[in-house]
Amino acid sequence: MSSVRLGYGSDRLVSNSQTKKRHSSDEENPSSPLQSRNKKICLEAQKEDIENMDRQKHANFSTMAPNGVRSMGLGKSKGSEKKVLSIKNLKVHQVAAVDHVSESWACLKEAVVAIQESRKLRENLTQEDLYRCVDNLITQRSPAQLYADLRDLTETHIKSQLENFINSSGDRLIFLRQVNDCWTHHCHQMKMVGNIFLALDRGYVLQTAHVSSIWDMGLELFRQHILEEVIVENRCVDGLLMMIEQERGGETIDRSLVKSLLRMLSSLQIYHKVFENKFLMATEQLYSREGQRLMQERDVPQYLQHVEKRLNEENNRILHYLDPSTKRQLIYCVEKQMLNEHKTALLQKGLDQLLDQNRRKDLSLLYSLFSRIKGGLDYLCSQFNAYIKTHGKTIVINPEKDRVMVQELLDFKDKMDGIVSDCFCNSDRFVLALKEAFEHFINQRLNKPAELIAKFVDGKLKAGNKEATEDELERLLDKIMVLFRFIHGKDVFEAFYKKDLSKRLLLGKSASVDAEKSMLSKLKQECGPGFTSKLEGMFKDMELSKDIMLAFKQNLQNMSKNSTLPLELSVNILTMGYWPNYQIMEVEMPSDMVQYQQIFTKFYLGKHSGRKLQWQPTLGHCVLKAAFPNGPKELQVSLFQALVLLLFNTTDVFSLDEITSRTNIEDTLLRRTLQSLACGKARVLIKNPKSKDVNDGDKFIYNKDFSNQLFRIKINQIQMKETSEEQQQTEERVFQDRQYQIDAAIVRIMKMRKIIPHNLLISELFDQLKFPVKPADLKKRIESLIDRDYMERDKDNPNTYNYVA
Amino acid sequence: MKIKIKSWTGVATWRWIANDDNCGICRMPFENCCSDCKLPGDDCPLVWGQCSHCFHIHCIMKWLQSQQLQQQCPMCRQEWKFKE
Ligand SMILES: [Zn+2]
Ligand SMILES: [Zn+2]
Ligand SMILES: [Zn+2]
Repeated sequence: MSSVRLGYGSDRLVSNSQTKKRHSSDEENPSSPLQSRNKKICLEAQKEDIENMDRQKHANFSTMAPNGVRSMGLGKSKGSEKKVLSIKNLKVHQVAAVDHVSESWACLKEAVVAIQESRKLRENLTQEDLYRCVDNLITQRSPAQLYADLRDLTETHIKSQLENFINSSGDRLIFLRQVNDCWTHHCHQMKMVGNIFLALDRGYVLQTAHVSSIWDMGLELFRQHILEEVIVENRCVDGLLMMIEQERGGETIDRSLVKSLLRMLSSLQIYHKVFENKFLMATEQLYSREGQRLMQERDVPQYLQHVEKRLNEENNRILHYLDPSTKRQLIYCVEKQMLNEHKTALLQKGLDQLLDQNRRKDLSLLYSLFSRIKGGLDYLCSQFNAYIKTHGKTIVINPEKDRVMVQELLDFKDKMDGIVSDCFCNSDRFVLALKEAFEHFINQRLNKPAELIAKFVDGKLKAGNKEATEDELERLLDKIMVLFRFIHGKDVFEAFYKKDLSKRLLLGKSASVDAEKSMLSKLKQECGPGFTSKLEGMFKDMELSKDIMLAFKQNLQNMSKNSTLPLELSVNILTMGYWPNYQIMEVEMPSDMVQYQQIFTKFYLGKHSGRKLQWQPTLGHCVLKAAFPNGPKELQVSLFQALVLLLFNTTDVFSLDEITSRTNIEDTLLRRTLQSLACGKARVLIKNPKSKDVNDGDKFIYNKDFSNQLFRIKINQIQMKETSEEQQQTEERVFQDRQYQIDAAIVRIMKMRKIIPHNLLISELFDQLKFPVKPADLKKRIESLIDRDYMERDKDNPNTYNYVA
Repeated sequence: MKIKIKSWTGVATWRWIANDDNCGICRMPFENCCSDCKLPGDDCPLVWGQCSHCFHIHCIMKWLQSQQLQQQCPMCRQEWKFKE
């Protein structure tokens, strides 16, 4: 194939079969010493190719294929139809025409000038002729001379180009286009020239130090004569900045022009020096102004979305036309001006609102943006922590909201958990901050949260609770345990839990044994076996009582004279110390009941010597058979209700005083009992005069007309209005128990140490005691133990204690 | 009115009959267990001596083991014999 095309002004570079062949032969011979240098030369030529291929894609300066040969032939298939010079079959008459040095140079000069002026070559001058000319000049004259001549030729041309636009008064865009045209022409030309002078590049240039390749020489000259003209540099850089600013302002710009010019600056190795600094400064100013303005104008979510948009845009700019080396500084600049400068204001203005409104998408964005700036997440985390503390405190601190406290705590925890896992990547520090904040605020109110959590659990474990499935209940209990974990006064919880558990067990109100056991094992897991041993003891008492009752009934049957006993008795025998303290009271009971009770007591003490049995009438309950004129009923009542109703078997009317003296029930309890019988839902008594409360002098009359749809009727006791009395008792109990535990701990430590300084004793106590305690309280207990001769002050050193054995 | 009790569920609490509030050996209240135990009641019962002093069973057993010569009540120094 002998057809040669020299194309320019088109998108394609020259293709030449011979060049191709030479390149490939080098390529095939890896040991060729020319190879590496050769590649470099080819690489330069290659740039244009890659650029052409990439024009529709991204600007990419650094991914030049190391193999510069492969695509040299691309231009062939789509060679431009215009301005193509075809020289055919000229091999025949080229023989000695260019033998002389001067003639050779004349030919070469003619070709170079033709290329520079975008003209056709003479018809009878072929590429191979030109190679021969180059060879002649290298061998017959000197390659240095040839190189110098070529350089002069190139320099002259480049200098002349400056005139084309140095005085151009057109607008910046036109100017930029002119520079770009000049640059692209230069590249085309230098590539074609490079092809002709290939032998020079491969011989002389490679072998001589400090001589640039022809391509690099072209770049140097272009930089020296075009871009180093201050006017050109300034107008060019300013023009580029203007275009980028326009694009940032929302306009569409000719990105390929910007890309080509920036690539030019990079090729000339002045990108960083003349462009990057100015560009970054302009960026900083723009975003500094924009940040300040938008912080005023927009709310936080809008602002954050804008910042994200800006970051995307700038990243896009890097993909499309900026040099990738600018990326780090550019992004840092946006982050600094738009985020870091405003981080305090952003969180103060927006965080509470976002958290209040559970705006997960915005919170995720907030997190991802703050993770970009130094210390951003630390700051976000501490503000998150502060928010929980503030908001949480409002949930626990207000006594009017006690009714809903626990549910609100659960909801709040759910919400915050969700935010941490959805928006904050479940990051450890946020998880920790969440825990720390909950623990902090929940203990801002003494005792109450512990009490209410215990009551909440009671509500869920009680029969009749509507929590649908066991699984749901189980999940709920797990959540409760998380709250429980935060409570410092766990003994307060235990006391209230125990009180409610005792009611559930003794009144048969427990919804499910499994759920009870499950809750117990959760508590055990959380606080250790010591915490639950007494609670477990309560369950054990219930089991033991069943066994005792079986034995008791066996015993009764053996004593046949008692087989006619009219009622069925079962007794729960409680171990003091496991159960809450109950008020001891004696009441008047019908003689058969008293007798029955005595039989049991005797039976029990016969089995367990060394014990004392105390009956607890407040906890007893009965099922009554009642015959009303409207039909028989079965009444489920407390023992006190039963004792009152039994009086009416003999007389229809009793005054309050009479009932008091006949039952001996404590006044408040009796009034409450009467209220439940005469003022509640199922009124088996009538109160005269009618009113809601029981007053002195009231009379109570058997209600002959009592009727009810149901056969079995439960007469509810009037709920003590979460009696401050009962509550105080429980708190008092906790307090006493704490004293006892402090004493026990002190004795334990003294027994082990024998001699211990005051401060060490105090610090060991703080380690051992699992409830909040003040040093002053500890001091009091130490004094008390000294008074009781458990320990003494050292005679020589009053700050040290000795154990008294 | 005609009312009869069909069934009655009573509740009673039990405690040790002791001649003192505290165990003379471990000094813990009898309502609580000895220092080696976790739970009062059946798990840490009381025992009485013929001298009528009583202790946690774990306490007096430890005490007796530590006595080489004579088995004495730690309170009254009489010879220790379990009641019954
Ligand atoms: Zn003891
Ligand atoms: Zn014990
Ligand atoms: Zn004794």
